[in-house]
Amino acid sequence: MAKSNPGNTNAKPGKGRNRKGTIKKSFREKFTELLELPKDLLLDRPKLTLIGCRDMMIENYKSVLEYGVGYMRVKTGSGIVRITGNNLVIREISHDDIIISGTVHSVEFTDAG
Amino acid sequence: MKFLLFRLWNYARGYVIIIVEGFFIEKFINICARRRILLWNVRIQKEHRVTARMSISGFRLIRPVARKTGCRVRLLKKTGLPFVFNKYRRRKAFFAGAVLFFILLNVLASFIWSIEISGNERLETAFIEDVLAGNGIKPGRLKYGIDTRATVDRMMLEIGRISWISINIRGTKVKVQIREREDIPEIVPRHIPCDVIAQRDGIVKQIIATEGIEAVAEGQTVKKGQVLISGRIPVKGSEEQYRHVHAMGTVKARTWYEAEVPVVFTETERLRTGRMIKDHSLILFSKKLDLIRRKNRFSEYTTEETRKKLTISEDLVFPFEWVVVTRYEVTSVQASIRETDAREKAAEEAYKEALELVPEGAEIIEENIYFAEEDGKLTARAILECVEDIGLSRRIGGN
Repeated sequence: MAKSNPGNTNAKPGKGRNRKGTIKKSFREKFTELLELPKDLLLDRPKLTLIGCRDMMIENYKSVLEYGVGYMRVKTGSGIVRITGNNLVIREISHDDIIISGTVHSVEFTDAG
Repeated sequence: MKFLLFRLWNYARGYVIIIVEGFFIEKFINICARRRILLWNVRIQKEHRVTARMSISGFRLIRPVARKTGCRVRLLKKTGLPFVFNKYRRRKAFFAGAVLFFILLNVLASFIWSIEISGNERLETAFIEDVLAGNGIKPGRLKYGIDTRATVDRMMLEIGRISWISINIRGTKVKVQIREREDIPEIVPRHIPCDVIAQRDGIVKQIIATEGIEAVAEGQTVKKGQVLISGRIPVKGSEEQYRHVHAMGTVKARTWYEAEVPVVFTETERLRTGRMIKDHSLILFSKKLDLIRRKNRFSEYTTEETRKKLTISEDLVFPFEWVVVTRYEVTSVQASIRETDAREKAAEEAYKEALELVPEGAEIIEENIYFAEEDGKLTARAILECVEDIGLSRRIGGN
């Protein structure tokens, strides 16, 4: 489960990172891993569900940052999720969950924290 | 499935389709989500312009949101039942009618309106209906509060000749299923001495006594009631004393069953002339109302009755019935039948009648059909020869 090397190794050591550029595990993360508790609930991590390439559900999202023609950016506890695709429609949006349908081309984590 | 329910629910609740325009649409969406204003089917049309659906109550709350985010909100369409109702709000009679309809439907559906009895062969339907009525199950009764289980027990005792009964209330219909009890011959207990007597007339073909003494010989003609195997065994040495046993055994005998049917050479055929009269009547709660009733102009006619019951599905029967009685004018035409056809027909009928007399368990070994002429009248006569066990246990000294 250790998330060493999040792809971008040249990233500057910032908040929550050590000198090698890997993410430092917080106490809470270690604690939930030790007790095998669901991370999405305790660590405010999003849960992304994709059914084929047409329906996507993001639980525990924070906010919609951008919604444009063919793309969407959603802020979550694990950074910003960028979704591109055709005819992206927000099927349902509530306090915690967002259901998106359309043809999803890519799902990307940018600025993973 | 989930989406279908969701859509139905939304239709029932009513919703509006809005167009949101502005530079901060995302903000608008986020604030709506945070304030628990449910949005769905948010679709982008072009940059800075989306359409979305929201509930009526939500629509009342979005004005401050729109002002805060600088978005322009336009109402595109109103959908759902509340708007439909709103349209008809002033039509009070329409609503009263709709409400009355549902009340009446429910009231009528809580009574019993028809009884269906099946499975009875010898018991008459009317008799069973009487017993049911005595136990509180009859058309017009409230279906609630009928304890079918208790009724089943009581019916079993009251009728006595049934082996099984089930009563089900389905909609406004009571379904009664009955299995009749077979008449079992009286069995003489094993320890009681008895004779084996003849059930009917016949010629003994084979007699095997497992207990008791054979009282008749093979080939002998026996009458109904005659002792075939005797349970009285004379004690050797004394003529007056007998030992009584429970006689048992099989007595196979040849028996005959016959039936006669006269041969008819003419046949009256009733032909419809094409003229008819239709009477219409309505049955409401077992009260008959004649709607159209015309005088009968025909001297000779046949009647046909068609009944149409008002039902929803099979089980929800309502106490309304439409009865059409049609009278067709007929003329009788005498037609003669060819002799061979007439003979064949009579022979067939005679055979059928004779066949009905043959009891269960009897084996037919020969079938004969004769034609006899007497006083110029021809009759067909069917004789069926059978082999069957004619033995019947009877207590010694009893009937």
